[in-house]
Amino acid sequence: MTAITPLIRHYGDNAVLVEWDTAGFNATVSDQVHALAAQLRKTPIFTEVMPGYDSLVVSFDAEDLTLDEVTQQVKTALQADSDICVASESRLVEIPVSYGGAAGPDLAALAERIGKTPQEVIALHSDREYRVCMMGFIPGFAFLSEVDPVLQHPRHATPRAVVPAGSVGIANWQTGIYGLDSPGGWQIIGRTDLDMFDAKRDAPFLVEAGDRIRFVPQ
Amino acid sequence: MTHNMSVITVLNGGTQTTVQDAGRPGHRHLGIPRSGAADRLSFAIANHLVGNVWDAPALECALGGLHLRFEKDTTIALSGAQMWAQINGMNIDLNRAVGVEAGDILTLSYARAGCRSYIAVAGGIAATEFLGSVSTYLPAALGGIEGRALKAGDELDLAGDPSGPINAIPKGYIPFLSGHAVLRAGAGPEFDLLSACSRRYLFTTPFIATSATDRMGSRLRGDRIVTEADFAMTSSPLLPGTLQCPPDGQPILALADAHCTGGYARGLHVIQADQWLLGQIAPGMQISFRRCFAAEAPDILRTRNAMWGALIPDFSF
Repeated sequence: MTAITPLIRHYGDNAVLVEWDTAGFNATVSDQVHALAAQLRKTPIFTEVMPGYDSLVVSFDAEDLTLDEVTQQVKTALQADSDICVASESRLVEIPVSYGGAAGPDLAALAERIGKTPQEVIALHSDREYRVCMMGFIPGFAFLSEVDPVLQHPRHATPRAVVPAGSVGIANWQTGIYGLDSPGGWQIIGRTDLDMFDAKRDAPFLVEAGDRIRFVPQ
Repeated sequence: MTHNMSVITVLNGGTQTTVQDAGRPGHRHLGIPRSGAADRLSFAIANHLVGNVWDAPALECALGGLHLRFEKDTTIALSGAQMWAQINGMNIDLNRAVGVEAGDILTLSYARAGCRSYIAVAGGIAATEFLGSVSTYLPAALGGIEGRALKAGDELDLAGDPSGPINAIPKGYIPFLSGHAVLRAGAGPEFDLLSACSRRYLFTTPFIATSATDRMGSRLRGDRIVTEADFAMTSSPLLPGTLQCPPDGQPILALADAHCTGGYARGLHVIQADQWLLGQIAPGMQISFRRCFAAEAPDILRTRNAMWGALIPDFSF
């Protein structure tokens, strides 16, 4: 696939958003996002370099840099040849999941709306390998690559006040794992007992961007 | 430095009191928010008054109710929300260094205006560091005192020896807080996707901060703010100071502990120079947004940085 040229937009007075126009998940775009992040991190003048699925936000101190300067730096970084390989030598992490019931309160309703049985939803969700495209939202939250098109479902219109740590959810074509108890609007279909984030562990994060994940129904 | 006993005993933790410093920026890509003092300016003032560097660890007390007993003679200063503060039942001034003696009891009542009071102690508060900051981040129990809010019985120590002489802030400089916060904001990335009415309402009608207000964010109530057409957004990075607009029409203002990514339209973004004021949003407060164009924001920031940087060494917004 050929590289897509992203849009660069102002995000308030101290950040710039780089956004690729793609419908659904696009592995080429995901590679471009992480290549740009790596390029921008070479100069430590930005406050945050935050890669997303098909977007990247770079924030800065507006005392030191202007929106125009940062826009120019992003353009230069996009042109720079950088070949980081996200997918080829990544780890595979298996995540045991209890689907449905109290662990997955939205499984039954989601299955009914898409005309499947809960068992079929579980089979479809656990039948493929996902890539960790971004970490974020809260510590340890893993945003994964796309689910089977049949499983795609919008978020709740009003987020839940508390979604328990380890919950596995669906939001449109995305699937992901909540790292901590947190408010959230995803359709929750299951939960893992693994701690996605533990500050006291030597490696606080169980997975990182670039890893591959497979869900194992319990 | 050796300690035979703690410097402060917590008698009552109040509504929510945490140890905060300037936060841990640079880790949002891992899902770790910046955290730190929600109102960076009042926090810096309190530290400066007792002779600390502006970003020394201090206590942040939301809404009041904090009772402390000092076990040693020391110097403290309070800044931020308008709270009645008393030592042994005698009123003390905010925004001024105050000497306290062993056995003295400090009590904070409730916030009459604003939300968070900063209590700086000469030498700073000792707390657990994670990724270069002792800021407490409650959802992941990071930093601070066991990553949680203070509770009765906690004993606090100093991070170091008192360093500088006490200072004063000239009259007239202290920000005046009221029940109405006016925030200057620029367009967020999805501003143009909001309906024409919503774009107008954002700058013409006030919102009320609901009880769903904490260090992560403040859910606002007011005219419905919606996108022109339904749109399914892919999760994308989010910054503190951003006004998120979910489909139910009630926007959410992201604060210091805000989620690092979000899936709702980012309608507005409060300018860097005004983000300190986000920390003083209390439930029930009125919030108005004023349009600030990209060309104006850098001048506002430079002017504010020059003024406050001249009073408090190394401080900037």
